[in-house]
Amino acid sequence: MARRRGIGMASVFYGTGYGNGFPDVSSAIVELHPSGKATVRTGAVDCGQGSSTVFAIIAAEVLGLQVSDITVTTGDTDNTPDTGTTAATRQTYNTGNAVRLAALDALRPLLDLVKPKLAVNTVDGLVVRGGAIEVRGWPGRKVTLAEAIAVAQAEGLTTMGQATFTAHTTALDPENGQGAPYWPYAFATHMAEVEVDTLTGMVEVLRVVAAHDVGRAINRAGVEGQIEGGVAQGLGYALLEEVQLDSGRIQNPNLAGYLVPTAMDMAVVESIIVEHPEPSGPFGAKGIGEPAILPVAPAILNAIFDAVGVRITDLPATPEKILQAIKLQEDRGIVK
Amino acid sequence: MKDQVVGSSPVKVDARDKATGATKYPGDLRVPGMLFGKLLYSPSAHAKIIGIGLADAWRVPGVRAVLTARDVPGHNGHGVIIPHQPVLAHDLVRSVNDVLVAVAADTLAAAEEALRKVKIELVELPAVFDATAAMAEGAPLIHPEGNILSHHKIRRGDMAEGWARAAVVVENTYRTQMVDHAFLQTEAALAEIEVGGTLVLHIATQYPHWDRKELSRALGMPEDMIRVVGGSVGGAFGGREDMTLQVQAALLAMRTGRPVKIVCTREESFHAHSKRHAMIMHYRTGATREGRLTAVEATIIGDTGAYASWGTNVLRKAAVHATGPYIVPNVKVDAYAVYTNNPFAGAMRGFGAAQPAVAYEGQMDEVARVLGLHPFAVRWQNAMTEGCTTATGQVLESSVGLRATMEKAGSLVGWDVSKIYG
Repeated sequence: MARRRGIGMASVFYGTGYGNGFPDVSSAIVELHPSGKATVRTGAVDCGQGSSTVFAIIAAEVLGLQVSDITVTTGDTDNTPDTGTTAATRQTYNTGNAVRLAALDALRPLLDLVKPKLAVNTVDGLVVRGGAIEVRGWPGRKVTLAEAIAVAQAEGLTTMGQATFTAHTTALDPENGQGAPYWPYAFATHMAEVEVDTLTGMVEVLRVVAAHDVGRAINRAGVEGQIEGGVAQGLGYALLEEVQLDSGRIQNPNLAGYLVPTAMDMAVVESIIVEHPEPSGPFGAKGIGEPAILPVAPAILNAIFDAVGVRITDLPATPEKILQAIKLQEDRGIVK
Repeated sequence: MKDQVVGSSPVKVDARDKATGATKYPGDLRVPGMLFGKLLYSPSAHAKIIGIGLADAWRVPGVRAVLTARDVPGHNGHGVIIPHQPVLAHDLVRSVNDVLVAVAADTLAAAEEALRKVKIELVELPAVFDATAAMAEGAPLIHPEGNILSHHKIRRGDMAEGWARAAVVVENTYRTQMVDHAFLQTEAALAEIEVGGTLVLHIATQYPHWDRKELSRALGMPEDMIRVVGGSVGGAFGGREDMTLQVQAALLAMRTGRPVKIVCTREESFHAHSKRHAMIMHYRTGATREGRLTAVEATIIGDTGAYASWGTNVLRKAAVHATGPYIVPNVKVDAYAVYTNNPFAGAMRGFGAAQPAVAYEGQMDEVARVLGLHPFAVRWQNAMTEGCTTATGQVLESSVGLRATMEKAGSLVGWDVSKIYG
């Protein structure tokens, strides 16, 4: 009797967006400059999770530029359009779509402008990449984006695009809960490997394998960062964190009494990005923010069961609860 | 044509400034003539306010404003669904989140001293701290309309048939706790009045345009006279969707004509923002001998605390996700958001879908155990696939990569998944 290992599995789905027919609207503005660079303006606040980087990537992709060519300005009610909350795993999908459409909107007059010069019979014959507008299948014939923007501005054309995207959902029927309440759905499976000390009840999470269907990863390192953060927060939820109350008063309103995982508690995370593209998403993408935390706690609980044969149904799975459950099991004569 | 930038891993656009410390968060802002604001939270979770004595607080040198409910010019309430959480409590307090007094002073020390000099007279009211007890007849009422904020139902198929077809029924109750977002950066706001009277509020928020609406309603001021600037945000996770100190900071700036900054201590931060709903989830899960799910019945009770915040939507999301990512022909779900005198619960990463995962994935393992099947096999054969129908009757037309996630994750821990699912 000492340390026992176990593996636990958990799968989840997650409906992204506000849902239930609520207006789920994002607007964005993309402005092109004669330098050949661009500014993206959206109300979407980057809370550290990386939405501004996602918008820069999407704009760069559409405009044939580098991420460093894009300036992203966000979250100012006087200077940026409303994009709804940074919540509900919706900014990559919702505002990402708006940014993609706004960038296309900004490009449209430029394509019309260079069409005769490049002697194509349709703008569909034009490709924007490498900082230039070029003829599809004949990459030698091109105009730099900077030049096209300068000419357009000299001719009095606007080089600013804007767009709005609304996610589709319906309200649930109040009597039977039937309807299409969210779209799209994200999917994930985590496998947690733990070691449980049967003398102390301590759980060490050794490893979490985390596979997420994100539709399409816009920023691969960003997706991995979200998964790792989700595992850390989920580990705290499973084993450590609890707001302790006495008559509605918070007993541990500080980080000495409210335990969040530290680097010492953290598991090794192996992120697996699964890409089943979502046709309505920008480049096939759907979000990753919230799904990252969902399977962590149940995977850890199932791993504890696999290790020592006790099922903890009351979070957090503290050493005290685990020891008590093991003892109860031994008293009943069941020893794993 | 292959995408050039999508799918790459560029340096995050904000990484350099954050790594070097150049990024300015609202708490870092300093402007000439700035005052320091401070809020007094209720010491009681349910009480009638008899009196609030301010005379001694006003006598503290350097105090510029001491505000109570009567100083709120517009609607004295905020909230994303129901605007009933007071900006400054007037007749009673319903939780320790309630703010009684806001002060502004030349120094932080003077503001703290003034709060200590406020004399609060409260009479405790009967309170309820357990969501199940709060649902019972005769429980103390937190709001006159009753303690059940919402009840969401999902009904699909025929439960009697589902139980009849089941070779095994697994029944368990799961409980999840209240947790905090515990983001790194505590709440902070800087409010100033520009020449011409426009209110400018710098705030770490998840949604500046919503904050503007709430400010407009509580201040009785048109939206075009309000500018909200979302500063850098040090983590949010849902904890920055409700108003915390936005309106009080604005009120103090309007009253004094001076810029006012409020920065929460960690202890104040725990009292200012919402929490993740604690939930009690009772589950019955039926399956055939082969492990095919025939029925899921779930009753989910979420403790939403004293104010609605997102409670209705959180419990709706819990209901929609109650079956997990599995095809279940017969489903009965009842999800309740219930008021108590606990700190209010609202949005937190997962938004009501985090708690049921603890329950439905416990059930899946139990079904496997009772039937002597591999946990992977039970999940695999019930997994949602493209074209399947969910418990709400929604057809998932595209992008259902669930089985791929199962296969890849299972293989990586050494499970011979192709053998398990045959």
